[in-house]
Amino acid sequence: MLGQTKRQFLLGGSASLGLLAGGRMVRAQSAASLTVYNGQHRQTTESLIAAFTKASGIKVIVRHGESAQLANQIMEEGARSPADIFYSEISPPMVALDEKNLLAPLEPSIWKEIPGEYVAPNKTWIGTSLRSRVILYNKAMIKPADLPHSILDVVNANWKDRVGYAIKDGFHEQVMAIVKLKGRDAGLAWLKGLKQNGRLYNGNGAAMNAVEAGEVPIALNNNYYWFGLAKERGEANMKSALHYVDRGDAGALVNLSPAAILKSTKQNDAAQKFLAFMVSEEGQKAIITPYAEYPVRPGLTPPFNLKPIAEIGSAIAASDIGNAQLAYELMREASLL
Amino acid sequence: MIIKFGTGERGSFPILLLALVALPSVLVALPIAYALIRSFDAGFSGILAELLRPTSLELLINTLELAGAVTGLTLVMGVAAAWVTERCDLPYVAVWRVVASAPLAMPAFVASYAWASLGPSFQGMGGAIMVLALACMPLIYLPVAAALRGTDPAFEDVSRSLGHGPLKTFLRVVLPQIWPAMMGGALLVSSHMLAEFGALSFLRVQTFTTAIFQQYEMQFDNATAALFSLVLMGLSMPLALFEQNLRKGLRRARSGKGLARSPMIIILGGWRWPVLALFVAFAVLAIGVPFATLFYWLVTGTSAGMGLERLLPALLGSLSYSLSGGLLTTLLAIPLVLASLRLHGVLIDLADRLPYAIHGLPGLVIALALIFFSIRYVPDLYQSPLLVVLAYVMLYLPLAQSSIRASAELVPPELENVARSLGRSPLAAFAEVTLPNLMPGIGASLALVVLQLMRELTATLLLAPSGVVTLATEFWSFTNDRAYAAAAPFAAALVIISGVPVYVFTLRTLRRG
Repeated sequence: MLGQTKRQFLLGGSASLGLLAGGRMVRAQSAASLTVYNGQHRQTTESLIAAFTKASGIKVIVRHGESAQLANQIMEEGARSPADIFYSEISPPMVALDEKNLLAPLEPSIWKEIPGEYVAPNKTWIGTSLRSRVILYNKAMIKPADLPHSILDVVNANWKDRVGYAIKDGFHEQVMAIVKLKGRDAGLAWLKGLKQNGRLYNGNGAAMNAVEAGEVPIALNNNYYWFGLAKERGEANMKSALHYVDRGDAGALVNLSPAAILKSTKQNDAAQKFLAFMVSEEGQKAIITPYAEYPVRPGLTPPFNLKPIAEIGSAIAASDIGNAQLAYELMREASLL
Repeated sequence: MIIKFGTGERGSFPILLLALVALPSVLVALPIAYALIRSFDAGFSGILAELLRPTSLELLINTLELAGAVTGLTLVMGVAAAWVTERCDLPYVAVWRVVASAPLAMPAFVASYAWASLGPSFQGMGGAIMVLALACMPLIYLPVAAALRGTDPAFEDVSRSLGHGPLKTFLRVVLPQIWPAMMGGALLVSSHMLAEFGALSFLRVQTFTTAIFQQYEMQFDNATAALFSLVLMGLSMPLALFEQNLRKGLRRARSGKGLARSPMIIILGGWRWPVLALFVAFAVLAIGVPFATLFYWLVTGTSAGMGLERLLPALLGSLSYSLSGGLLTTLLAIPLVLASLRLHGVLIDLADRLPYAIHGLPGLVIALALIFFSIRYVPDLYQSPLLVVLAYVMLYLPLAQSSIRASAELVPPELENVARSLGRSPLAAFAEVTLPNLMPGIGASLALVVLQLMRELTATLLLAPSGVVTLATEFWSFTNDRAYAAAAPFAAALVIISGVPVYVFTLRTLRRG
């Protein structure tokens, strides 16, 4: 019996090795489909691509990963990159690619559809959706009146071990917003305070779960995580709620998720069509359905009960954040990395 | 002369063997070259400054604490469990053998998510040590149990007849015999710990490996990440060399097969109840809690059923990639093992040990090295299935080597010489005499490597052609999006499919001897 299992193993192994060899051991040139390197939420991108393929008939292959990691991969690939489009969850990696001169210019018909503050100054990338930084708090552990008015307050000693945070999506931008509004030293002091008094989690989702579980009364986060969990669990069962610091404060930052076409693409026309679809009414609806993000196209109502975009936001625009290299250096200086 | 051929080795066999050894050696040299190239980008003063940062020291302490504690704990649990199941009159022993091996089927990142979700007291270093020790225990239990079966009980009888109690007999007679199996297992556990990422990110523990991931999310051509990789290799190489030295001078080959008698069974008496309680507790902690959590996600979340249409492609992806990887890894490990047993010399020792040093590296570094070299020198290989399989070989060669070596050591080289003297060519002698005796080890290697590959995440994500999915990548992706109910079927499929190689491996290991 055992011998048989072994033979089956060997047989299965040879068969699958043959399968791979017979199939495509080396990369074939991609034919009539677009390749998207995707750092945005998977469900968002899948919803978008399904709508795009249905509308245009163009097939799309997706490679999922972390935004910064995919941007780095594109830099390593250079002119040989198999990617046609890069769809990032966060803006700094896109800015970094632009600075390396790897992005193709976009047709005016695309960027004219949305407000100029969501478009790269040189028109190489567009914001496709917006999200805001928030503070999540556990309703049983803290009263709304006791919540901080400024993001700078959460690193004070009276918050010791009571603030969860994650060095992930949105955190670099948060640091940059503080630096732009209050200066480099204030940014560094804030990070050092966080290192000393905060509780580090491996992601915004984990930090949110910690607030839900009562591990910490508050956590720095992005707005859509809470809506995602509320959808999974039912809003009535949520132990946490969203808190917005004062409008104009660095902590009220609104970030954008950008998309761009790579200069190395051999399918520029199809890629331009894809980006045009992203800012079309149909594309925007597909993007804001799975996750609680704000549309960039004016006049659309998000399916989630979001605080109106006009009531939030810091004094810094999303396109002013830059490549956030300084945030990385400050985090190292504060021993967060 | 660096390479000395052992007794009776002539003709083309050693040359062919050396050529076959070169192939995996070149592969495992790639990440080392990559880490060196990237590190030297920082310059000497940069390297020094980076290593002396307080963060680096913090990471070093965490990494050593985790690896040391988990290895120590698994050794105690694994040896105790093996001794009780092999030498004592434990009731329902067959059940407990399964219990002691079962955590192999549970990926550490699934178990870790389950525990981390129970609350903060299970997070942090303490929680990580517990969860990972439970998950790794079979890596000690199985080889030690097999070694106990293979030892000659006559030594123990002599010790007992001289008036030594069970404990003294264990320490003086049994322990020295199972020592190589213990240290082989300990080497695998500690290098697993150096490279662990998924589980630790749930459990909020920072080591060199999690720092490498974090750095890489910031910068691709990251000198810090490369430098940390070199530190990890520096930590795992001495362990690998220590284990190798331990086995030197041991001759475990016997010409006779099988044991004359079964060992003397120790009566547990009143001890049986606490022992049984410990096994039950182990079953609950290592298997019960993770499974209960999977079930809880499935019934409570509204994302249940989402992405279910990808379950079959993911299953096929997992099977085709892991079986190909398992087969190629095993094939390449055979010449490495034979060379290390039959030929001697510094280079051969190094070729045998380098894969173990690489085993302490996270899949990320292996993937980065392959991306780096394939884009520059073999662009057609970039994002091809073959590149993924090559990464798998680099990641899991040591598992194959250890499994095959366990069989190969039992084959006396004289057998091959006899075949040669009867007129067989070196290759024919190998095929007709050595290979059949290696089959148990080859089976164990296939099962163990396939098992690990089915849960491999990083190298698959970074290297596979765009659009390829496996059970592990889908589970990871859904938990990242917090769609836990959607993730549950993928985790369940992974655990159930893993049961097959675990079953084969367990039977294979425990039937030996």
